[in-house]
Amino acid sequence: MTSERSRLWLGIAAVAATQAAVLGWMIWERVHLLASGREIVLEVVPVDPRSLFRGDYVTLGYDISRIAAPSGEPGPHRGEDIYVTLQKGEGDKWTVVGSGPQPPARTTADQVVLKGRIQHAIAASGGSPAQTLVRYGIESFFVPEGTGRELEGLVRQKKLSALIAVDSDGNAGIKGLIVDGKRVYEEPLL
Amino acid sequence: MSRYARRIDRDLARWREAGWLSADGEAAIRADVAAQTRKVELAPVLGILGAVLIGFGAMSFVAAHWNDMARLFRLALILGGLFGAYGLAGVLFERRHPAFAHAAILVGVALFGAGIMLVAQMYHIDGHAPDAVLTWALGALLAGVILKSDPALALAMLLMGLWSGWEMSDSGTVHWAFLIGWAAVALAMLWRGWVPGLHLSAVVLGLWIINLGYFLFGGHGHAVVVGIGLVVAAAGLAAPAVSQRFSGWAMAAVAYGMMIAFAGLFALQFVETVALDYLILLAILALALVLAGIGYGLRVGSAAMLWLGYGGFSVEVLGLYFKTVGTLLGSSLFFLSAGAIVIGLAAIAYRLHARTHTGLEASP
Repeated sequence: MTSERSRLWLGIAAVAATQAAVLGWMIWERVHLLASGREIVLEVVPVDPRSLFRGDYVTLGYDISRIAAPSGEPGPHRGEDIYVTLQKGEGDKWTVVGSGPQPPARTTADQVVLKGRIQHAIAASGGSPAQTLVRYGIESFFVPEGTGRELEGLVRQKKLSALIAVDSDGNAGIKGLIVDGKRVYEEPLL
Repeated sequence: MSRYARRIDRDLARWREAGWLSADGEAAIRADVAAQTRKVELAPVLGILGAVLIGFGAMSFVAAHWNDMARLFRLALILGGLFGAYGLAGVLFERRHPAFAHAAILVGVALFGAGIMLVAQMYHIDGHAPDAVLTWALGALLAGVILKSDPALALAMLLMGLWSGWEMSDSGTVHWAFLIGWAAVALAMLWRGWVPGLHLSAVVLGLWIINLGYFLFGGHGHAVVVGIGLVVAAAGLAAPAVSQRFSGWAMAAVAYGMMIAFAGLFALQFVETVALDYLILLAILALALVLAGIGYGLRVGSAAMLWLGYGGFSVEVLGLYFKTVGTLLGSSLFFLSAGAIVIGLAAIAYRLHARTHTGLEASP
Protein backbone atom coordinates (compact mmCIF):
# COMPACT_ATOMS: atom_id res chain seq x y z
CA MET A 1 0.00 0.00 0.00
CA THR A 2 1.38 3.40 -0.88
CA SER A 3 1.74 5.93 1.89
CA GLU A 4 -0.96 8.11 0.35
CA ARG A 5 -3.39 5.21 0.33
CA SER A 6 -2.62 4.16 3.86
CA ARG A 7 -2.99 7.75 5.03
CA LEU A 8 -6.42 7.93 3.40
CA TRP A 9 -7.64 4.73 5.01
CA LEU A 10 -6.12 5.65 8.34
CA GLY A 11 -8.08 8.91 8.23
CA ILE A 12 -11.28 7.12 7.23
CA ALA A 13 -10.85 4.64 10.06
CA ALA A 14 -10.03 7.38 12.58
CA VAL A 15 -13.12 9.44 11.72
CA ALA A 16 -15.51 6.49 11.63
CA ALA A 17 -14.09 4.98 14.83
CA THR A 18 -14.16 8.28 16.72
CA GLN A 19 -17.75 9.02 15.75
CA ALA A 20 -18.80 5.46 16.56
CA ALA A 21 -16.99 5.75 19.89
CA VAL A 22 -18.92 8.92 20.72
CA LEU A 23 -22.21 7.13 20.06
CA GLY A 24 -20.98 4.09 21.99
CA TRP A 25 -20.00 6.28 24.90
CA MET A 26 -23.45 7.90 24.95
CA ILE A 27 -25.02 4.45 25.09
CA TRP A 28 -22.60 3.11 27.69
CA GLU A 29 -23.19 6.11 29.94
CA ARG A 30 -26.94 5.60 29.73
CA VAL A 31 -26.80 1.85 30.25
CA HIS A 32 -24.53 2.34 33.23
CA LEU A 33 -26.90 4.93 34.71
CA LEU A 34 -30.00 2.80 34.20
CA ALA A 35 -28.36 -0.39 35.42
CA SER A 36 -26.59 0.89 38.50
CA GLY A 37 -28.49 4.05 39.40
CA ARG A 38 -30.79 4.18 42.39
CA GLU A 39 -34.42 3.65 41.47
CA ILE A 40 -37.03 6.16 42.49
CA VAL A 41 -40.65 6.45 41.39
CA LEU A 42 -42.10 9.84 40.57
CA GLU A 43 -45.75 10.54 39.91
CA VAL A 44 -46.31 12.13 36.52
CA VAL A 45 -48.46 15.24 36.52
CA PRO A 46 -50.00 16.97 33.53
CA VAL A 47 -47.69 19.74 32.44
CA ASP A 48 -49.05 21.85 29.70
CA PRO A 49 -52.77 21.64 29.03
CA ARG A 50 -52.09 22.87 25.51
CA SER A 51 -50.23 19.92 24.16
CA LEU A 52 -49.08 16.99 26.16
CA PHE A 53 -48.56 14.87 23.15
CA ARG A 54 -46.11 16.10 20.60
CA GLY A 55 -45.06 13.95 17.69
CA ASP A 56 -44.19 10.53 18.97
CA TYR A 57 -43.17 11.47 22.42
CA VAL A 58 -44.98 12.35 25.58
CA THR A 59 -43.97 15.27 27.73
CA LEU A 60 -43.81 14.20 31.35
CA GLY A 61 -44.20 16.68 34.15
CA TYR A 62 -43.48 16.05 37.81
CA ASP A 63 -44.26 17.67 41.13
CA ILE A 64 -40.54 18.26 41.45
CA SER A 65 -40.44 20.19 38.17
CA ARG A 66 -41.65 23.32 39.97
CA ILE A 67 -39.84 24.02 43.21
CA ALA A 68 -39.50 26.91 45.61
CA ALA A 69 -36.59 29.10 44.54
CA PRO A 70 -33.43 28.34 46.49
CA SER A 71 -32.66 31.06 49.02
CA GLY A 72 -29.52 33.18 48.96
CA GLU A 73 -27.80 35.51 46.54
CA PRO A 74 -27.53 35.56 43.63
CA GLY A 75 -30.90 34.17 42.71
CA PRO A 76 -31.24 31.34 40.23
CA HIS A 77 -30.80 32.06 36.52
CA ARG A 78 -32.06 30.30 33.46
CA GLY A 79 -29.69 27.67 32.17
CA GLU A 80 -27.81 27.13 35.44
CA ASP A 81 -27.34 23.79 37.08
CA ILE A 82 -29.35 23.12 40.21
CA TYR A 83 -29.16 20.23 42.63
CA VAL A 84 -32.48 19.21 44.14
CA THR A 85 -32.65 16.96 47.18
CA LEU A 86 -35.64 14.62 47.41
CA GLN A 87 -36.80 12.77 50.48
CA LYS A 88 -38.88 9.62 50.53
CA GLY A 89 -42.02 10.19 52.54
CA GLU A 90 -45.32 8.49 53.16
CA GLY A 91 -46.53 6.11 50.47
CA ASP A 92 -43.08 6.11 48.88
CA LYS A 93 -43.71 9.62 47.57
CA TRP A 94 -40.59 11.68 46.92
CA THR A 95 -40.79 15.33 47.87
CA VAL A 96 -38.36 18.20 47.57
CA VAL A 97 -36.57 19.08 50.80
CA GLY A 98 -33.86 21.37 49.49
CA SER A 99 -32.09 22.79 46.47
CA GLY A 100 -28.98 24.74 45.63
CA PRO A 101 -26.28 25.40 43.06
CA GLN A 102 -24.02 22.75 44.65
CA PRO A 103 -24.89 19.21 45.71
CA PRO A 104 -25.51 18.99 49.47
CA ALA A 105 -22.52 17.92 51.55
CA ARG A 106 -24.38 15.03 53.13
CA THR A 107 -27.63 13.21 52.60
CA THR A 108 -29.48 10.57 54.58
CA ALA A 109 -30.33 7.11 53.30
CA ASP A 110 -33.88 8.07 52.35
CA GLN A 111 -32.74 11.07 50.33
CA VAL A 112 -31.60 11.31 46.76
CA VAL A 113 -30.06 14.25 44.88
CA LEU A 114 -31.12 15.08 41.30
CA LYS A 115 -29.11 17.33 39.02
CA GLY A 116 -31.32 19.63 36.98
CA ARG A 117 -31.10 22.67 34.78
CA ILE A 118 -33.06 25.80 35.57
CA GLN A 119 -35.56 26.38 32.80
CA HIS A 120 -37.22 29.42 34.22
CA ALA A 121 -37.01 31.49 37.37
CA ILE A 122 -40.29 33.07 38.44
CA ALA A 123 -39.97 36.08 40.75
CA ALA A 124 -42.18 36.33 43.79
CA SER A 125 -45.30 38.37 43.16
CA GLY A 126 -48.60 39.08 44.83
CA GLY A 127 -48.09 36.80 47.81
CA SER A 128 -46.89 33.81 45.79
CA PRO A 129 -43.28 32.94 46.57
CA ALA A 130 -40.47 32.84 44.02
CA GLN A 131 -40.39 29.60 42.10
CA THR A 132 -38.01 27.78 39.84
CA LEU A 133 -38.90 25.52 36.93
CA VAL A 134 -36.38 22.73 36.62
CA ARG A 135 -35.69 20.16 33.92
CA TYR A 136 -33.97 16.95 34.87
CA GLY A 137 -33.68 15.42 31.41
CA ILE A 138 -36.47 12.95 32.19
CA GLU A 139 -39.29 14.97 30.64
CA SER A 140 -39.57 13.25 27.28
CA PHE A 141 -40.71 9.70 26.73
CA PHE A 142 -40.62 8.40 23.19
CA VAL A 143 -43.48 6.05 22.48
CA PRO A 144 -44.48 3.77 19.64
CA GLU A 145 -46.39 5.79 17.09
CA GLY A 146 -50.07 6.15 17.88
CA THR A 147 -49.88 5.28 21.56
CA GLY A 148 -49.19 8.80 22.77
CA ARG A 149 -52.86 9.68 23.22
CA GLU A 150 -53.41 6.69 25.46
CA LEU A 151 -50.54 7.72 27.71
CA GLU A 152 -51.79 11.27 27.72
CA GLY A 153 -55.14 10.05 29.04
CA LEU A 154 -53.41 8.12 31.81
CA VAL A 155 -51.49 11.23 32.79
CA ARG A 156 -54.76 13.20 33.05
CA GLN A 157 -56.22 10.54 35.32
CA LYS A 158 -53.07 10.75 37.44
CA LYS A 159 -52.45 7.06 37.00
CA LEU A 160 -49.00 7.30 35.52
CA SER A 161 -45.67 7.24 37.32
CA ALA A 162 -42.16 7.17 35.97
CA LEU A 163 -39.45 4.80 37.08
CA ILE A 164 -36.30 6.88 37.29
CA ALA A 165 -32.70 5.79 37.75
CA VAL A 166 -30.40 8.26 39.49
CA ASP A 167 -26.63 7.91 39.64
CA SER A 168 -24.31 9.26 42.31
CA ASP A 169 -23.73 12.50 40.38
CA GLY A 170 -27.46 13.21 40.27
CA ASN A 171 -27.97 12.37 36.59
CA ALA A 172 -31.38 10.88 36.00
CA GLY A 173 -32.78 8.65 33.28
CA ILE A 174 -36.17 7.11 32.56
CA LYS A 175 -36.15 3.36 33.07
CA GLY A 176 -39.79 2.76 32.43
CA LEU A 177 -43.33 3.85 33.16
CA ILE A 178 -45.67 2.55 35.82
CA VAL A 179 -49.43 2.46 35.32
CA ASP A 180 -51.56 1.60 38.36
CA GLY A 181 -48.55 0.10 40.06
CA LYS A 182 -47.65 -2.12 37.10
CA ARG A 183 -44.44 -1.59 35.18
CA VAL A 184 -45.09 -0.92 31.51
CA TYR A 185 -42.88 0.30 28.71
CA GLU A 186 -39.88 -0.90 30.60
CA GLU A 187 -37.31 -1.36 27.91
CA PRO A 188 -34.29 -3.63 27.90
CA LEU A 189 -30.99 -1.85 28.33
CA LEU A 190 -29.77 -2.79 24.90
CA MET B 1 -19.90 29.13 -20.68
CA SER B 2 -19.81 31.57 -17.80
CA ARG B 3 -21.13 35.08 -18.11
CA TYR B 4 -17.60 36.45 -18.13
CA ALA B 5 -16.55 34.01 -20.85
CA ARG B 6 -19.51 35.01 -23.04
CA ARG B 7 -18.73 38.66 -22.57
CA ILE B 8 -15.02 38.33 -23.33
CA ASP B 9 -15.99 36.29 -26.39
CA ARG B 10 -18.09 39.16 -27.70
CA ASP B 11 -15.46 41.75 -26.82
CA LEU B 12 -12.66 39.77 -28.49
CA ALA B 13 -14.62 39.64 -31.73
CA ARG B 14 -15.18 43.39 -31.57
CA TRP B 15 -11.53 44.18 -30.76
CA ARG B 16 -10.30 41.95 -33.56
CA GLU B 17 -12.54 43.69 -36.07
CA ALA B 18 -11.31 47.04 -34.84
CA GLY B 19 -7.81 45.82 -35.58
CA TRP B 20 -6.52 46.17 -31.99
CA LEU B 21 -5.81 42.51 -31.64
CA SER B 22 -3.61 40.11 -33.57
CA ALA B 23 -4.80 36.56 -34.17
CA ASP B 24 -2.03 35.31 -31.86
CA GLY B 25 -3.06 37.71 -29.15
CA GLU B 26 -6.67 36.63 -29.39
CA ALA B 27 -5.73 32.96 -29.20
CA ALA B 28 -3.55 33.63 -26.15
CA ILE B 29 -6.38 35.50 -24.41
CA ARG B 30 -8.87 32.72 -25.18
CA ALA B 31 -6.50 30.09 -23.84
CA ASP B 32 -5.97 32.13 -20.68
CA VAL B 33 -9.69 32.63 -20.15
CA ALA B 34 -10.33 28.90 -20.63
CA ALA B 35 -7.60 28.06 -18.11
CA GLN B 36 -8.81 30.60 -15.54
CA THR B 37 -12.50 29.80 -15.70
CA ARG B 38 -13.30 27.36 -12.93
CA LYS B 39 -15.67 24.84 -14.32
CA VAL B 40 -18.63 24.14 -12.11
CA GLU B 41 -19.44 20.64 -13.12
CA LEU B 42 -22.92 19.27 -12.81
CA ALA B 43 -21.94 15.77 -11.62
CA PRO B 44 -20.37 16.80 -8.28
CA VAL B 45 -23.26 19.14 -7.55
CA LEU B 46 -25.74 16.36 -8.20
CA GLY B 47 -23.62 14.00 -6.11
CA ILE B 48 -23.80 16.33 -3.10
CA LEU B 49 -27.53 16.87 -3.56
CA GLY B 50 -27.99 13.12 -3.80
CA ALA B 51 -26.08 12.64 -0.57
CA VAL B 52 -28.29 15.15 1.20
CA LEU B 53 -31.40 13.37 -0.08
CA ILE B 54 -30.07 9.96 0.96
CA GLY B 55 -29.28 11.37 4.39
CA PHE B 56 -32.81 12.64 4.83
CA GLY B 57 -34.26 9.46 3.37
CA ALA B 58 -32.28 7.26 5.75
CA MET B 59 -33.30 9.37 8.71
CA SER B 60 -37.00 9.35 7.91
CA PHE B 61 -37.02 5.65 7.02
CA VAL B 62 -35.29 4.71 10.23
CA ALA B 63 -37.51 7.03 12.26
CA ALA B 64 -40.63 5.48 10.73
CA HIS B 65 -39.56 1.88 11.37
CA TRP B 66 -37.67 2.52 14.56
CA ASN B 67 -40.22 0.99 16.90
CA ASP B 68 -40.38 -2.30 15.03
CA MET B 69 -36.69 -2.94 15.42
CA ALA B 70 -34.85 -4.61 18.25
CA ARG B 71 -32.46 -2.33 20.10
CA LEU B 72 -29.32 -4.15 19.12
CA PHE B 73 -30.44 -4.09 15.53
CA ARG B 74 -30.95 -0.33 15.73
CA LEU B 75 -27.45 0.12 17.08
CA ALA B 76 -26.01 -2.12 14.40
CA LEU B 77 -27.88 -0.16 11.76
CA ILE B 78 -26.51 3.19 12.91
CA LEU B 79 -22.93 2.03 13.30
CA GLY B 80 -23.04 -0.04 10.11
CA GLY B 81 -24.33 2.92 8.16
CA LEU B 82 -21.62 5.12 9.63
CA PHE B 83 -18.74 2.78 8.76
CA GLY B 84 -20.35 2.01 5.40
CA ALA B 85 -20.53 5.66 4.39
CA TYR B 86 -16.92 6.43 5.33
CA GLY B 87 -15.73 3.20 3.74
CA LEU B 88 -17.53 4.13 0.54
CA ALA B 89 -15.84 7.52 0.68
CA GLY B 90 -12.47 5.77 0.85
CA VAL B 91 -13.26 3.60 -2.15
CA LEU B 92 -14.47 6.61 -4.14
CA PHE B 93 -11.30 8.56 -3.31
CA GLU B 94 -9.23 5.64 -4.57
CA ARG B 95 -11.21 5.47 -7.79
CA ARG B 96 -10.59 9.19 -8.32
CA HIS B 97 -14.16 10.33 -7.78
CA PRO B 98 -13.44 12.95 -5.13
CA ALA B 99 -16.78 14.75 -5.52
CA PHE B 100 -18.75 11.59 -4.82
CA ALA B 101 -16.34 10.71 -2.02
CA HIS B 102 -17.11 14.05 -0.36
CA ALA B 103 -20.81 13.32 -0.77
CA ALA B 104 -20.27 9.98 1.00
CA ILE B 105 -18.44 11.78 3.82
CA LEU B 106 -21.41 14.12 4.12
CA VAL B 107 -23.68 11.07 4.44
CA GLY B 108 -21.38 9.75 7.17
CA VAL B 109 -21.56 13.02 9.10
CA ALA B 110 -25.35 13.11 8.67
CA LEU B 111 -25.60 9.55 9.99
CA PHE B 112 -23.48 10.55 12.98
CA GLY B 113 -26.02 13.30 13.74
CA ALA B 114 -28.91 10.91 13.19
CA GLY B 115 -27.16 8.46 15.53
CA ILE B 116 -26.99 11.06 18.30
CA MET B 117 -30.70 11.78 17.90
CA LEU B 118 -31.66 8.13 17.76
CA VAL B 119 -29.62 7.12 20.79
CA ALA B 120 -31.23 9.98 22.70
CA GLN B 121 -34.61 8.69 21.60
CA MET B 122 -33.74 5.11 22.49
CA TYR B 123 -32.94 6.01 26.08
CA HIS B 124 -35.49 8.81 26.45
CA ILE B 125 -32.66 11.28 26.98
CA ASP B 126 -34.10 14.76 27.18
CA GLY B 127 -30.90 16.57 27.93
CA HIS B 128 -29.65 19.94 26.89
CA ALA B 129 -30.27 19.86 23.12
CA PRO B 130 -27.49 22.33 22.13
CA ASP B 131 -24.94 19.92 23.62
CA ALA B 132 -26.07 17.33 21.09
CA VAL B 133 -25.70 19.86 18.26
CA LEU B 134 -22.19 20.73 19.47
CA THR B 135 -21.25 17.04 19.53
CA TRP B 136 -22.49 16.74 15.96
CA ALA B 137 -20.58 19.87 14.92
CA LEU B 138 -17.35 18.50 16.40
CA GLY B 139 -17.89 15.23 14.54
CA ALA B 140 -18.31 17.15 11.30
CA LEU B 141 -15.18 19.21 12.02
CA LEU B 142 -13.20 16.03 12.69
CA ALA B 143 -14.30 14.53 9.38
CA GLY B 144 -13.61 17.81 7.58
CA VAL B 145 -10.07 18.14 8.92
CA ILE B 146 -8.88 14.54 8.77
CA LEU B 147 -10.48 13.69 5.43
CA LYS B 148 -9.88 17.19 4.01
CA SER B 149 -13.54 17.54 3.17
CA ASP B 150 -14.80 21.06 2.52
CA PRO B 151 -18.51 20.13 2.52
CA ALA B 152 -18.10 18.56 5.98
CA LEU B 153 -16.44 21.78 7.19
CA ALA B 154 -19.34 23.81 5.79
CA LEU B 155 -21.77 21.60 7.71
CA ALA B 156 -19.64 22.01 10.84
CA MET B 157 -19.84 25.80 10.48
CA LEU B 158 -23.63 25.75 10.06
CA LEU B 159 -23.97 23.46 13.07
CA MET B 160 -21.79 25.79 15.17
CA GLY B 161 -24.20 28.59 14.29
CA LEU B 162 -27.19 26.42 15.20
CA TRP B 163 -25.53 25.42 18.46
CA SER B 164 -24.93 29.00 19.48
CA GLY B 165 -28.34 30.25 18.38
CA TRP B 166 -30.07 27.51 20.35
CA GLU B 167 -27.87 28.14 23.39
CA MET B 168 -28.63 31.89 23.29
CA SER B 169 -32.37 31.51 22.87
CA ASP B 170 -32.31 28.94 25.67
CA SER B 171 -30.32 30.93 28.21
CA GLY B 172 -31.18 34.47 27.09
CA THR B 173 -27.54 35.50 27.46
CA VAL B 174 -24.62 35.92 25.08
CA HIS B 175 -22.98 32.64 24.20
CA TRP B 176 -19.27 33.46 24.13
CA ALA B 177 -18.16 29.85 23.72
CA PHE B 178 -19.37 30.14 20.13
CA LEU B 179 -16.24 32.12 19.28
CA ILE B 180 -14.05 29.12 20.14
CA GLY B 181 -16.10 26.73 18.01
CA TRP B 182 -16.32 29.25 15.18
CA ALA B 183 -12.56 29.89 15.25
CA ALA B 184 -11.84 26.16 15.15
CA VAL B 185 -13.91 25.64 12.00
CA ALA B 186 -12.76 28.91 10.38
CA LEU B 187 -9.11 27.98 10.99
CA ALA B 188 -9.70 24.62 9.36
CA MET B 189 -11.18 26.40 6.33
CA LEU B 190 -8.25 28.82 6.26
CA TRP B 191 -5.84 25.88 6.40
CA ARG B 192 -7.68 24.34 3.46
CA GLY B 193 -7.59 27.70 1.69
CA TRP B 194 -11.27 27.28 0.88
CA VAL B 195 -12.59 30.74 -0.02
CA PRO B 196 -16.36 29.98 -0.17
CA GLY B 197 -16.03 28.40 3.28
CA LEU B 198 -14.35 31.52 4.62
CA HIS B 199 -17.22 33.60 3.28
CA LEU B 200 -19.64 31.23 5.03
CA SER B 201 -17.62 31.74 8.23
CA ALA B 202 -17.89 35.50 7.80
CA VAL B 203 -21.66 35.31 7.31
CA VAL B 204 -22.15 33.07 10.37
CA LEU B 205 -19.94 35.31 12.51
CA GLY B 206 -21.75 38.39 11.17
CA LEU B 207 -25.13 36.96 12.15
CA TRP B 208 -23.77 36.16 15.59
CA ILE B 209 -22.46 39.71 16.01
CA ILE B 210 -25.82 41.14 14.91
CA ASN B 211 -27.45 38.90 17.50
CA LEU B 212 -25.22 40.37 20.20
CA GLY B 213 -27.35 43.50 20.03
CA TYR B 214 -30.38 41.57 21.21
CA PHE B 215 -28.56 39.96 24.16
CA LEU B 216 -26.02 42.50 25.46
CA PHE B 217 -27.11 45.07 28.05
CA GLY B 218 -30.51 43.47 28.53
CA GLY B 219 -31.22 43.37 24.81
CA HIS B 220 -30.15 46.95 24.12
CA GLY B 221 -26.66 46.36 22.74
CA HIS B 222 -27.25 47.42 19.15
CA ALA B 223 -24.85 50.36 19.41
CA VAL B 224 -22.07 47.83 20.05
CA VAL B 225 -23.07 46.02 16.86
CA VAL B 226 -22.88 49.28 14.91
CA GLY B 227 -19.45 49.95 16.39
CA ILE B 228 -18.12 46.48 15.51
CA GLY B 229 -19.49 46.76 11.99
CA LEU B 230 -17.89 50.17 11.43
CA VAL B 231 -14.53 48.93 12.77
CA VAL B 232 -14.64 45.92 10.43
CA ALA B 233 -15.53 48.14 7.45
CA ALA B 234 -12.79 50.63 8.36
CA ALA B 235 -10.29 47.78 8.64
CA GLY B 236 -11.34 46.65 5.17
CA LEU B 237 -10.79 50.15 3.80
CA ALA B 238 -7.40 50.47 5.47
CA ALA B 239 -6.20 46.94 4.68
CA PRO B 240 -4.86 47.52 1.14
CA ALA B 241 -2.77 50.42 2.41
CA VAL B 242 -1.15 48.20 5.06
CA SER B 243 -0.30 45.28 2.84
CA GLN B 244 -1.21 44.09 -0.63
CA ARG B 245 -1.71 40.65 0.87
CA PHE B 246 -5.03 41.71 2.37
CA SER B 247 -6.39 43.44 -0.71
CA GLY B 248 -8.31 40.35 -1.80
CA TRP B 249 -10.35 40.45 1.38
CA ALA B 250 -10.67 44.22 1.68
CA MET B 251 -13.89 44.53 -0.27
CA ALA B 252 -15.47 41.59 1.53
CA ALA B 253 -14.55 43.11 4.91
CA VAL B 254 -16.06 46.46 3.91
CA ALA B 255 -19.25 44.75 2.72
CA TYR B 256 -19.64 42.53 5.80
CA GLY B 257 -18.78 45.39 8.15
CA MET B 258 -21.29 47.71 6.53
CA MET B 259 -24.01 45.06 6.64
CA ILE B 260 -23.36 44.44 10.34
CA ALA B 261 -23.41 48.17 11.09
CA PHE B 262 -26.58 48.58 9.05
CA ALA B 263 -28.31 45.73 10.91
CA GLY B 264 -27.37 47.40 14.19
CA LEU B 265 -28.64 50.78 13.04
CA PHE B 266 -31.83 49.16 11.79
CA ALA B 267 -32.46 47.58 15.21
CA LEU B 268 -31.70 50.90 16.96
CA GLN B 269 -34.28 52.66 14.81
CA PHE B 270 -37.03 50.12 14.47
CA VAL B 271 -36.67 47.51 17.22
CA GLU B 272 -35.91 49.91 20.05
CA THR B 273 -38.33 52.68 20.94
CA VAL B 274 -36.56 55.95 20.27
CA ALA B 275 -37.41 59.64 20.47
CA LEU B 276 -38.12 61.33 17.17
CA ASP B 277 -35.02 63.53 17.09
CA TYR B 278 -32.80 60.56 17.90
CA LEU B 279 -34.57 58.56 15.20
CA ILE B 280 -33.84 61.27 12.65
CA LEU B 281 -30.17 61.26 13.61
CA LEU B 282 -30.03 57.46 13.29
CA ALA B 283 -31.86 57.56 9.96
CA ILE B 284 -29.35 60.09 8.61
CA LEU B 285 -26.52 57.83 9.78
CA ALA B 286 -28.11 54.76 8.20
CA LEU B 287 -28.70 56.55 4.91
CA ALA B 288 -25.16 57.92 4.96
CA LEU B 289 -23.88 54.38 5.53
CA VAL B 290 -25.94 53.05 2.64
CA LEU B 291 -24.80 55.86 0.33
CA ALA B 292 -21.20 55.28 1.41
CA GLY B 293 -21.68 51.62 0.51
CA ILE B 294 -23.04 52.53 -2.92
CA GLY B 295 -20.19 54.99 -3.41
CA TYR B 296 -17.66 52.33 -2.45
CA GLY B 297 -19.34 49.89 -4.84
CA LEU B 298 -19.01 52.41 -7.67
CA ARG B 299 -15.37 53.12 -6.82
CA VAL B 300 -14.26 49.47 -6.76
CA GLY B 301 -16.66 48.55 -9.55
CA SER B 302 -18.54 45.91 -7.57
CA ALA B 303 -22.06 45.17 -8.74
CA ALA B 304 -22.71 43.06 -5.64
CA MET B 305 -21.84 46.00 -3.39
CA LEU B 306 -24.14 48.26 -5.40
CA TRP B 307 -27.04 45.88 -5.08
CA LEU B 308 -26.42 45.53 -1.34
CA GLY B 309 -26.51 49.30 -1.15
CA TYR B 310 -29.75 49.55 -3.10
CA GLY B 311 -31.22 46.79 -0.94
CA GLY B 312 -30.16 48.54 2.26
CA PHE B 313 -31.57 51.82 0.99
CA SER B 314 -34.93 50.19 0.26
CA VAL B 315 -35.05 48.46 3.64
CA GLU B 316 -34.19 51.68 5.45
CA VAL B 317 -36.75 53.73 3.56
CA LEU B 318 -39.43 51.10 4.05
CA GLY B 319 -38.65 50.92 7.77
CA LEU B 320 -38.88 54.68 8.06
CA TYR B 321 -42.12 54.68 6.15
CA PHE B 322 -43.79 52.29 8.58
CA LYS B 323 -42.27 54.05 11.56
CA THR B 324 -43.28 57.55 10.53
CA VAL B 325 -46.78 56.83 9.32
CA GLY B 326 -49.02 58.88 11.53
CA THR B 327 -46.27 60.51 13.57
CA LEU B 328 -45.60 64.19 14.10
CA LEU B 329 -43.17 64.31 11.26
CA GLY B 330 -45.56 62.89 8.71
CA SER B 331 -44.26 60.48 6.16
CA SER B 332 -44.86 62.72 3.16
CA LEU B 333 -42.74 65.49 4.64
CA PHE B 334 -40.06 62.94 5.48
CA PHE B 335 -39.94 61.54 1.96
CA LEU B 336 -39.92 65.01 0.43
CA SER B 337 -36.95 66.07 2.53
CA ALA B 338 -35.18 62.71 2.14
CA GLY B 339 -35.66 62.90 -1.63
CA ALA B 340 -34.27 66.45 -1.67
CA ILE B 341 -31.23 65.38 0.37
CA VAL B 342 -30.51 62.37 -1.84
CA ILE B 343 -30.82 64.44 -5.03
CA GLY B 344 -28.56 67.04 -3.48
CA LEU B 345 -26.00 64.36 -2.72
CA ALA B 346 -26.34 63.06 -6.26
CA ALA B 347 -25.61 66.55 -7.60
CA ILE B 348 -22.50 66.83 -5.41
CA ALA B 349 -21.36 63.37 -6.48
CA TYR B 350 -21.84 64.33 -10.12
CA ARG B 351 -19.77 67.49 -9.66
CA LEU B 352 -16.98 65.54 -7.97
CA HIS B 353 -17.08 62.90 -10.64
CA ALA B 354 -17.05 65.52 -13.38
CA ARG B 355 -14.06 67.27 -11.82
CA THR B 356 -11.98 64.10 -11.91
CA HIS B 357 -13.24 63.02 -15.33
CA THR B 358 -13.02 66.19 -17.38
CA GLY B 359 -14.59 64.55 -20.37
CA LEU B 360 -17.97 64.70 -18.69
CA GLU B 361 -17.84 68.44 -18.16
CA ALA B 362 -18.02 69.12 -21.87
CA SER B 363 -21.45 67.59 -22.27
CA PRO B 364 -24.07 69.86 -20.71
